[in-house]
Amino acid sequence: MAVDIQSSIGQLPVGEARFVGKSVKRVEDPLLVTGRVEFIDNVVLPGMLHCAILRSPYAHARIRSVDVSEARKLPGVFAVVTGEDAKRWTQPGPASPEGWGAHCLAVDKVRFVGEPVAAVAATSRYVAEDAIELINVDYDPLPPVVDAFKAAQADGPLVFEDKGTNIMYQRVFKWGEVDDAFRDADRVFTEQFRWHRLGANPMETFGVVSQWDPVDGSVTIHGAYQAPTHMAIGRAIVLQLPMNKVRVIGHPHGGSFGGKGGARGTDITALLSRKTGGRPVKWIEDRIEYITGGGSQAWDRHYEVALAVKKDGTVTGLKVKLLDDLGATGEGFGAIGAAKPLASFTGCYAIPVAEYDLTLVATNKLPAGPYRGMGPPPHNFVLEQMMDIAARGLGIDPAEIRRKNFIPPDRFPYTIASGNEYDSGEYEAALNTVLEMSDYSRLRQEQAEARKRGRYLGIGVVSTIEPGVFDWNAYAIVGVPGTGVPEGVTVSIDLFGKILVNVGFPIEGQGQYTLATQILADYFGVELADVRVVMQDTLSAPPNFGPGGSHLGVALTGAILGAADRLRDKLVAVAARLMQTEAQHVELKEGKLRIKGVPGAEMPVAQVAAVMLTRSDLLPPDMEQRPEATYVWTSPGRTPADDQGRAKSYLTAANACHVALVEIDPGTGKVAILKYWIADDCGVRLNPANVEGMIDGGVAQGVGAALLEEYVYNEEGQLLTSTFMDYLLPTIHDVPVTEKKGLVTPSPFTPLGAKGVGEGAIHTTPAAIMCAINDALLPLGVRTTEVPATPQRLWTLMRSAQQPS
Amino acid sequence: MAAKRQVRLTVNGTQYEASVEPRMTLVDFLRGELGLNGTHVGCEHGVCGACTILLEGRAVRACLMLAVQADGANIMTVEGLAPDGKLHPIQEAFIEEHGLQCGFCTPGFLMSVYELLHDNPNPSEEAILDSLGGNICRCTGYQSIRKSVRLAAEKVRTSSSAPQGG
Repeated sequence: MAVDIQSSIGQLPVGEARFVGKSVKRVEDPLLVTGRVEFIDNVVLPGMLHCAILRSPYAHARIRSVDVSEARKLPGVFAVVTGEDAKRWTQPGPASPEGWGAHCLAVDKVRFVGEPVAAVAATSRYVAEDAIELINVDYDPLPPVVDAFKAAQADGPLVFEDKGTNIMYQRVFKWGEVDDAFRDADRVFTEQFRWHRLGANPMETFGVVSQWDPVDGSVTIHGAYQAPTHMAIGRAIVLQLPMNKVRVIGHPHGGSFGGKGGARGTDITALLSRKTGGRPVKWIEDRIEYITGGGSQAWDRHYEVALAVKKDGTVTGLKVKLLDDLGATGEGFGAIGAAKPLASFTGCYAIPVAEYDLTLVATNKLPAGPYRGMGPPPHNFVLEQMMDIAARGLGIDPAEIRRKNFIPPDRFPYTIASGNEYDSGEYEAALNTVLEMSDYSRLRQEQAEARKRGRYLGIGVVSTIEPGVFDWNAYAIVGVPGTGVPEGVTVSIDLFGKILVNVGFPIEGQGQYTLATQILADYFGVELADVRVVMQDTLSAPPNFGPGGSHLGVALTGAILGAADRLRDKLVAVAARLMQTEAQHVELKEGKLRIKGVPGAEMPVAQVAAVMLTRSDLLPPDMEQRPEATYVWTSPGRTPADDQGRAKSYLTAANACHVALVEIDPGTGKVAILKYWIADDCGVRLNPANVEGMIDGGVAQGVGAALLEEYVYNEEGQLLTSTFMDYLLPTIHDVPVTEKKGLVTPSPFTPLGAKGVGEGAIHTTPAAIMCAINDALLPLGVRTTEVPATPQRLWTLMRSAQQPS
Repeated sequence: MAAKRQVRLTVNGTQYEASVEPRMTLVDFLRGELGLNGTHVGCEHGVCGACTILLEGRAVRACLMLAVQADGANIMTVEGLAPDGKLHPIQEAFIEEHGLQCGFCTPGFLMSVYELLHDNPNPSEEAILDSLGGNICRCTGYQSIRKSVRLAAEKVRTSSSAPQGG
């Protein structure tokens, strides 16, 4: 049954939307503020045991032997598992690039500090921790490879000996006549950049409770999963079970940002449960485990970039060479982060040709995973720095070189060099808005005056794209298969007229249950309190992905509207029969099924639904006694990638322009963000307060990325930043209060005209702050190309500039 | 494993008595032994503030204390803010100003705000920052939290449920 989904709020069956497009209070919040949400650590099952994991102290070592005999003897210990169990009962985990996966417990050798080596199930976590101290592992340390450039050389230590190389992937993509563009350019600007490892760090770490059923060979898994369906697919592969014997129950979780991790912990607890004959086994990752061995790390990148430019500032070509250090294995799917920039490779700019020289290497560090944005934040940092470098080189204002190169509004939909299609945009309008908000020309005057007084004030002006509504085809170059990301919901109306929505993903912070509630309350003319959203496990839910890739807001809207339309059609058919007319004369409006043009000839939705459930004799022939409909929404018009990785991938292109005003203290190198302005265009805002929350949160993470957050490994591969005392998250003192304005350029391709918005601010903020820092450093004739710009780095750089060499 | 020790303490007005291992942290005791799951564990090394509770009216990290150290203490947790299900004005303010997203850090923030407003029902922006400098939120960027605290102060000043000593 074809469904023609509403493309604007005005098409909803209400006179005026009461909830959609409004900053309604979130339905998730009453339980959250009272501490009553069932986060994974609240789960207690009868007979439950607790797991602790023994982890490698070496970055690279052969395992000679693992002696667990003393641990087994400790009272309260029920099971111990090692790499031998993993080898016997499991497959290595899925990975990208394919073939670079590992078992959940190290087999024969360890490849990073923090890699699980053995695990215990005991009556309490305290006893389990006691037990792992009794396990004796005999290691034969091997020289580690920690540096990405050394890893790429042929003669160093190998992370996987059987591969014969640490290069996981190497390819050059050419989109258009790149060499011609660089040959014909008036100027070519080049620079190298370094983006250090950082990562998600949601306030809740990962946690899981697994229970094996030894009789029917199935497993039930409760866990803090961002995407339960994909966790179930992975577990079916690793545990070698049919999917219909893997029940994954997602729990509300305390943030994810892509970096929740959890695959190995799930497999380890499943193995332990199996060994205990079916006791539930719980593992709650502690923070140090999360940081050293979990989903905590992303983007360890070395860039060489070149920009071909005409004298007037027109950018004619872009070359990006990236060496991305993925760590010990491909299990974290960090490779996707190197592929995603294809979705917005040339940013807001009409740069006709581009080249991407991509190398992924393995080192003896934690496998890199996803983090909010999934790759563009470093890419945008690099691209925006190059725009500034070109502007300086040509004597053009940074704002003006951007204006000169924007894709103009009349060229949408616009296909970029790397293949994706942008849906719509008004980039110059956003730039003008933010320049006006910041009173940009006066800001430049203030800066000039401040410089005379010896102050290091800097202004960053950047403009970026947030690709929204991801598609698997965007990651085809690193071997991710498929096109289309299904997101399904079931909507039903009960005997008393209340509405139930079943979805396949748990809450994690973006307010998606509120969004579903807003849309349905307007659609069926009920109150927010009349709608309830409930999560189903992976054996019950329709195909779905959940939050990720700025996909869910748009996809959920499409799924909800699709299901609502189908349900409406059923109600219309029933109401028509009850009112003795034809279906084509009946419409749903304001919560009633009405005969068009006949005042008073109407039935409430609740009444029609109740008739469906209780009076089969009154229903049209073949009508099921079921006021319920399911719809699975998929992004329309996606194309498979061509041999250069080009595809219509992400459906929407949101735009943001940020202006940052910073000051560097020359005595300490510390950066203060004095003011911050944002003009953001993510299409129609379905819940403006939620959108603002996404932007504010992304800014904070962007501030952390630019100034604070860095995982530091030493030459032995030991992580030196394994706590929040060393890995610095932004506090309330670090994050500026921003001034924001929203522009609305609707997407012509999405339900209600909305665009993905969850990642745009972290795509933009690091670039804006770094541009501002380098603007502040201009009088010294130096620039920083390294993220984060810590006080130590900036102080050293400023000292080197001030001292005669 | 050392011999268990007896502890008696009052949490949210209810007296509890239990025997615990000396090494058990206070947060594990509140969650695991008393079933008060609203207090969350974010880092277990005293930085993130998710486990903030009030002990004798002062905000403390429940992950950095042992249960035996709380013997005889009077404690308030997030469950004590809305004992009969009616939300406290601080909780209402966080909902109205979208002062939370994932909500995992929220109970800790609420307890810090409770202490702040108890001491100072009309806090300056500087006082708000000072009191919340030890609570990390990874979702909101703190801007909506600042607004929530200002609204909470306004609500508390005009309501009868002003924060009492823990």
